[in-house]
Amino acid sequence: MKEVLSTVKSCSQIAQNVYSLTVTLPESAGEIKGGQFLNIATGDNSRLLKRPFGIVKAEGLDITVCFQVKGEGTVALSKAKQGDKLSVLLPLGNGFNLPENAKNIVVLGGGVGIFPLIPVIATNPDKNFYSYIGFRNDKCVCLLDEFNKSKKLTVVTDDGSYGQKDNAVNAYFKDKQSVKADMIIACGPPVMLRALKAKLKEENDSTPCLVSLEERMGCGIGACLVCVCKKSDGNNARVCKDGPVFDINEVEL
Amino acid sequence: MANLSVNICGVSFKNPVIAASGTYGFGREFNEVYDISCIGGISTKGMTNLPRLGNKVPRIAEGNSVILNAVGLQNPGVEHFIKYDLPFLKEKGIVIIANVAGSTLEDYGKICATLDGLVDMVELNISCPNVRAGGMALGIKPANIEEVTSLAKSNLKKTPLIVKLSPNVESITINAQAAERGGADCVSLVNTFTGMVIDLEKRKPVIANNTGGVSGAGIKPIALKMVYEAAHAVKIPVIGMGGIMTGRDALEFMCAGAKAVQVGTANFADVNAMPRIIKEMDEWLNAHDIKDVNEIVDTLKLN
Ligand SMILES: Cc1cc2nc3c(=O)[nH]c(=O)nc-3n(C[C@H](O)[C@H](O)[C@H](O)COP(=O)(O)OP(=O)(O)OC[C@H]3O[C@@H](n4cnc5c(N)ncnc54)[C@H](O)[C@@H]3O)c2cc1C
Ligand SMILES: Cc1cc2nc3c(=O)[nH]c(=O)nc-3n(C[C@H](O)[C@H](O)[C@H](O)COP(=O)(O)O)c2cc1C
Ligand code: FES
Repeated sequence: MKEVLSTVKSCSQIAQNVYSLTVTLPESAGEIKGGQFLNIATGDNSRLLKRPFGIVKAEGLDITVCFQVKGEGTVALSKAKQGDKLSVLLPLGNGFNLPENAKNIVVLGGGVGIFPLIPVIATNPDKNFYSYIGFRNDKCVCLLDEFNKSKKLTVVTDDGSYGQKDNAVNAYFKDKQSVKADMIIACGPPVMLRALKAKLKEENDSTPCLVSLEERMGCGIGACLVCVCKKSDGNNARVCKDGPVFDINEVEL
Repeated sequence: MANLSVNICGVSFKNPVIAASGTYGFGREFNEVYDISCIGGISTKGMTNLPRLGNKVPRIAEGNSVILNAVGLQNPGVEHFIKYDLPFLKEKGIVIIANVAGSTLEDYGKICATLDGLVDMVELNISCPNVRAGGMALGIKPANIEEVTSLAKSNLKKTPLIVKLSPNVESITINAQAAERGGADCVSLVNTFTGMVIDLEKRKPVIANNTGGVSGAGIKPIALKMVYEAAHAVKIPVIGMGGIMTGRDALEFMCAGAKAVQVGTANFADVNAMPRIIKEMDEWLNAHDIKDVNEIVDTLKLN
């Protein structure tokens, strides 16, 4: 974990309101695991906080994140030009740990939640991934190449403008019998994760399931207790340090 | 290399840069990034007698050059600190300041008695809501400040007491004097300014607590003025903070009368802020041929 001044290599739009940003680090940040994230300065000095994004790709010193333009920070970041210098703190968080004996992995992604899942597929060629990814509409669809490494890929949209009109959770549960999942990994908006938890409960399904959470952050390294989520045992956990990946039964969504 | 060491209430700091309460935890996480033995000291996360879970999320929002937070004193309780974090911090050889809070007056007495002799200094956080003041912070009315200070002091036989002043008050000078009268050995300021950040689309405050404390670069001019005023209103030493991001910022606070500084929000903007600020202070002093950082203290020349 370190903070370095990176150099923007490229920043381009890949879907409606979604950008792919690649920066080059001046030195290695060590091993990066799928599901880990980084905190990056926006390039607007009036923003004191860095923005957290899942690391999509780490190739040598080049690091890629993909982000949706939401507020002022991501607007500024979307204007990053080649050669710009941006401070970046990485790698952060725990990432997805896939047990050796889990072979069939179901990947559930919704919206920008698909990004942190990409490196998990890319770095585990020995596993069978069954990916179900959902977008709002056809204009939001992106990065399908990355998911094409899955054994099976199902793309759905909220309005049916691309693939079936469905959501990722439902699409998987329709297929569930044929998949025989050893594990589920999921990342997406809170409504999606809550629906997943409810569905697993409803079907009495005890397939191990890991979810990646989002919360507003201060330090990003576990010191300030700004980014907590509620654990099922009543205690708090820090999304930035204890997470962002948690067992779905361990946290309240 | 200028001399950066300072002495406050008989406690010696290797340099005047102290991590501000709540932004640095108990130092462990920053120590994973750099060896924290290079900093002057740490003011711990605000602690209470018993563990607290704090406020609902979101706990943070952003404005122009500032942030807004309402963590709500989530902390593992003072006993956990003594068992688990204190031994770790002792090994680091930095000044350990226990930042403490409570909901009743008695809470303050009790936690001070527990910590007496175990830490280098105790810092009273009197900006949180308190039963004694009818849910208002104890740090607002001079009489309340004097009362809680003298109670804390009577429970501290060995450890010097810092009273951390809230800026959300009528008069910072009168409040600093109230702390001095109550027996404070030192005052620190400023704590955060009360504020609000709104999400216009939702027409709702961004943070769950609705209001929170504003900190960061944008509050520096206001904090500087308050530190200047407080330092000239009391005889006890003053520790200054509020928006310090660079070595120059830190030296400005010392020039205004602070004997040392605390750095908070800058730790979020730059994880290496503290070692960088220490280095920048040294560079500025060298460039100006000043051999000792203490020479800069209280050298402001008003127009
Ligand atoms: C671990 C993690 C991984 C993430 N990965 C991605 C990703 O790969 N791609 C992507 O598009 N988005 C991702 N997000 C969400 C992304 O961080 C926010 O959309 C972004 O910070 C919004 O910044 P802004 O300046 O546009 O919004 P503003 O509203 O202007 O931001 C104000 C403050 O709130 C914070 N904030 C606002 N929304 C969120 C949010 N949903 N989560 C966390 N902080 C927020 C900002 O970081 C900033 O500190 C991730 C969040 C987390 C916590
Ligand atoms: C996230 C956060 C948590 C804080 N928690 C505490 C606390 O527990 N006790 C306290 O006395 N001050 C607390 N503060 C206030 C800081 O210690 C400091 O007084 C204030 O942030 C101003 O300094 P800065 O502008 O350098 O951050 C907190 C500040 C922040 C940003
Ligand atoms: S952001 Fe500071 S603890 Fe997570």
